[in-house]
Amino acid sequence: MARTKAARDPWPRQRPGFLALCRDHARILRETGHFVAEKLGTSLLVWVLVGIALALPAGLFLLQQNLAAMTGAWEGRPGLTVYFEVGADPGAVAALAKTLESRDTVSRVTVISEAEALAEFQRFTGLADALDLLDDNPLPASLRAVLEAGADAADLDALAAVAGAADRVAEVVVEKTWLERVTDITRVVTRVGVMLAGLFGLGAVLITATSVRLAIEARLEEVRVLKLVGATDAQIRRPFLYFGLVYGLGGGLVAAMLISIALLVIEAPLAQLLGSYGQQLALAGFDLVFLGALFASAALLGVVGALMAVRQRLAGLEIL
Amino acid sequence: MGQIEFHQVTKRFDNGQEGLKELSASFETGSMTFLTGHSGAGKSTFLKLLLCLDRPTRGQILVNGVNVTQISGRRLPHYRQNLGAVFQDHHLLANRSVFENVALPLRVTGYRERDVARRVRAALTRVGLLSKEGLFPRYLSTGEQQRVGIARAVVTRPKILLADEPTGNLDPELSRDIMGLFEQFQQIGTTVVVASHDRDLIESMGMRIIELANGSMVSDQPGSAGAGRPAPAGDDEDADGAD
Repeated sequence: MARTKAARDPWPRQRPGFLALCRDHARILRETGHFVAEKLGTSLLVWVLVGIALALPAGLFLLQQNLAAMTGAWEGRPGLTVYFEVGADPGAVAALAKTLESRDTVSRVTVISEAEALAEFQRFTGLADALDLLDDNPLPASLRAVLEAGADAADLDALAAVAGAADRVAEVVVEKTWLERVTDITRVVTRVGVMLAGLFGLGAVLITATSVRLAIEARLEEVRVLKLVGATDAQIRRPFLYFGLVYGLGGGLVAAMLISIALLVIEAPLAQLLGSYGQQLALAGFDLVFLGALFASAALLGVVGALMAVRQRLAGLEIL
Repeated sequence: MGQIEFHQVTKRFDNGQEGLKELSASFETGSMTFLTGHSGAGKSTFLKLLLCLDRPTRGQILVNGVNVTQISGRRLPHYRQNLGAVFQDHHLLANRSVFENVALPLRVTGYRERDVARRVRAALTRVGLLSKEGLFPRYLSTGEQQRVGIARAVVTRPKILLADEPTGNLDPELSRDIMGLFEQFQQIGTTVVVASHDRDLIESMGMRIIELANGSMVSDQPGSAGAGRPAPAGDDEDADGAD
C-alpha cells in the first residue's frame, strides 16, 4: 500500500522560517529585559556577584600582562652597564660597543662618553659650578647594552663575561636580579591567576545557574503551559539562556567597571613606584581586545550556568 | 477508522492503582463526546494519555492512525500543537494580559504578529471576551477566565479539542454557556472530548456519553441529534499564518 509521507506523519515538524526565528528571539529578548527590570534588585545583585567573580581573575590577568610587558619593554628590558676606567681610550669603548652590538641577543648599545656623562650630570644635578672647580672630568665613560626581548638570564651572563674581559673595563653591572625577580613574580601571578580564573569562573557559573534556576521556578507555570501548547524544548530553554547571557554580560560590565576603578586607585602609587625605577607608567592590556575577551567569557559562563540550571530543572518536568 | 482510537489501554500508576483498565474506544472526526464518571474513574487519565502527558502501561492510542504512545520527544511538541486543551483550573498566566495568554500557542508556532492579532481577536470574539483583551486574568470572573482558556485552546484551530472538567467551578448557567461553546466548535468540524462529572448538564446536551468507573467503560451511550456529525469536507481554514 503506497502511503505518502504526509499520511504517515500527520504532524509534520514545521521548521520556523528565519524571520519567525528572529521575531521569536527579539520577543524573548524584550521579555528578558522586562523580567530583569522587574527584578532589578536581584539582577543587580547577580551582576555584582558575577562581576566580582570575574574581576579578580581578569585583574590578575592584566597584572600578569603588565609584568610581562615590563620585562619586555625597552626601559625595563634587562641589560648591563659597563663602566670604564676614568680616562679610558674612546677607541676601547667603541671597540667593546661594536663587539656587543654584533651579538644576536643584544638589541641596542648606547655609549655615554666621559664628556656626555659630565654634561648629563650637570644637567640633572645642577652641580655645574661645583664640577667647574675640578680640573679633570671625574666621570668615566660607560655603555649600556639592552637585551633583545626573549633573551634570558644565561644570555646576560654570557654578555657580562665578554664585557668583563674587555680592555680597561672597571665594572660590569648586570641587572639580572631585577629580571629574575620580575620573571618569577610573573610566573607566580600567572599560576595564581589561572587557579583563580578556574575557581571564580566556576563561581560565576554557579551564581548564574542559581539565579536562572530561581527564574525558572518563578516561571514554572509558564513553562508548563508552553509545553502543553506544543513549545519545543529549544523554545522553552531559550528565555532562560537569555537570562544567563544577560546575567553574564551584566557581570562582565561590573567586572570592567571594578577593574577600571582599581586601575584609577592604584595609578598614582604605581606611577610613583615605577618612577623610582626610572620608568614611565604605561598600563597595558586594558584595551578593546581585553574587554571583548572579558565580555565574551562572561557571556559564555552565564550561558553555561543557565544551561546547567535548565538541564537540572526542566528535564522530566511534570506538566500537570 | 476513528480519528482517535484507544485500543486496550491500561494505565497503572507507580502506587499500583489502575487509572485505566483495558479501555477501548473510538472517536470519529467531528464528533463530540462526554466522558463521565466519579472522580478517580479515569477521565483525567484518559485525557492526559491523549495529550501524551503520560504514557500508558499497555495498549495503543491512535490519533490519525499514528500510535501516539510511541511518539518521540522530538515530535511531541508538533503533535501537541494540533490539540487544544482546556482544564478546570484553566492555567492562565497571571503576569500576561488576556491577549498574550491567548496568543501563546500562536507564538510557539511562529505566526506573524499581524496574524497573531487577527486570530487572537477572532478567538476572543468567539468566546465573547474581545473587550477584555487588555486585562490581566485576575480581573476576570471565573467563568471569563475559563473562556479565555478555551480561546487559547482553539486559537490555533486544532482538529481535536479536549477539556477536563471545564465547568467544575462554574454555576449551572455559566456551565451551559461553556458547553455551548464546545458544541459550536464541534459544529465546525472539531473533534471534541469533554470530561465532566456533571451528569445533568451533559445529559441535556444530547451528545455521546461514555461513562467510566474504576478505569473501565461501563456504558457508551450514543448521542441524539447532531452528535457524531461528520466533519465538513475541505477543512482548509488555516491556510494563513505560519511562515
